[in-house]
Amino acid sequence: MQALRRGLLAGFLASLVLAMFDFVTDGAPGNGLPSILHWFGIALADPTLSRWAGFFLLIVLGGVVGLIFGALQRDKLITAGRALLTGLALGVLWWLIFELVLTNIMNHASSPFSLSFGRFLSSFPLDVLFGVLLGAIYVQWQERHAAEAS
Amino acid sequence: MSISSSARKPKQVGTTAMGEHTAAAPITLSERSSNGLALLRIFVGYLWFQQLFWKLPPTFAGLYAYVVRESQHAILPGYGTLLQHSFLAGCPSLSTPTGCTAFVPLAACVWTAELVVAISLLFGLFTRFGAMLATILSLQLYVGLTYSPGEWIWTYGMLVLLALFLVAVPAGRRLGVDYWLAPRLQEAGQYHRLARIASWFV
Repeated sequence: MQALRRGLLAGFLASLVLAMFDFVTDGAPGNGLPSILHWFGIALADPTLSRWAGFFLLIVLGGVVGLIFGALQRDKLITAGRALLTGLALGVLWWLIFELVLTNIMNHASSPFSLSFGRFLSSFPLDVLFGVLLGAIYVQWQERHAAEAS
Repeated sequence: MSISSSARKPKQVGTTAMGEHTAAAPITLSERSSNGLALLRIFVGYLWFQQLFWKLPPTFAGLYAYVVRESQHAILPGYGTLLQHSFLAGCPSLSTPTGCTAFVPLAACVWTAELVVAISLLFGLFTRFGAMLATILSLQLYVGLTYSPGEWIWTYGMLVLLALFLVAVPAGRRLGVDYWLAPRLQEAGQYHRLARIASWFV
């Protein structure tokens, strides 16, 4: 239970960092957030509402991935190396599912795996960063709680 | 848990008139401050990451106009000439890089260096190395562009200062890969010279 809660919170925070990147983007703040709705085929006419809905969906998705991360640890104390590697793997999975396959399906691309260099570069490092942050936040919390308990 | 920027013992600073040494209290950062610094590092990394996209390979065309401006407005004597004989060697036009012989390979080096900075700072991977590279790249921009028309003189100065700040503090040891890497390199550094050198960069 502890691992699940820690994973959930770590997921929320890691996705919050990812969401904050969209507030230092070209054009208007939050310009990239509606694309998160687009992964699930949702389109809202109001641009402001669309950005906020994208923001909340991103946080929720981050929480779900964080829960998966926590579930994988089975309430055991894990090493920093394992946390970072598991986070990295989940980040790659996030990129594969959302940024690659779902985006291509929703854009009616010729293949669900079609990808340009620019799109790879703009999405892959940030999704992997989400995973690394998830792992890092989780393991830092774990160590803090362990230190407090002893 | 505390973070100190160096594993060495704190130096004694200051001597009283009586010749007694007074040691300055060591500065330790709280977890919150360390995580705040890590967030700052991530956002500076994102700054560098974003700048990769207006000069993408294979042409790196977005960079060309800036190199031309640097060659015309550099504040360091001879720097403009250096650019004209390296990046801009053999360029038939100042508006397009078509026909330049050395521009693409040199621009590829700049782009790769910026990618390394972005990855290093975003992931907290050999953060101080990334910050040193960022300092060199920012200094180069400062020398070339600060006094070119339309530029705010502090823009590149702030970039230099941000990069220097990240050289000074071990910002990758929280929310980054250096969290895992630093203790291992410090331990291995007791026996291996290469690990000791590598530990300077985390």
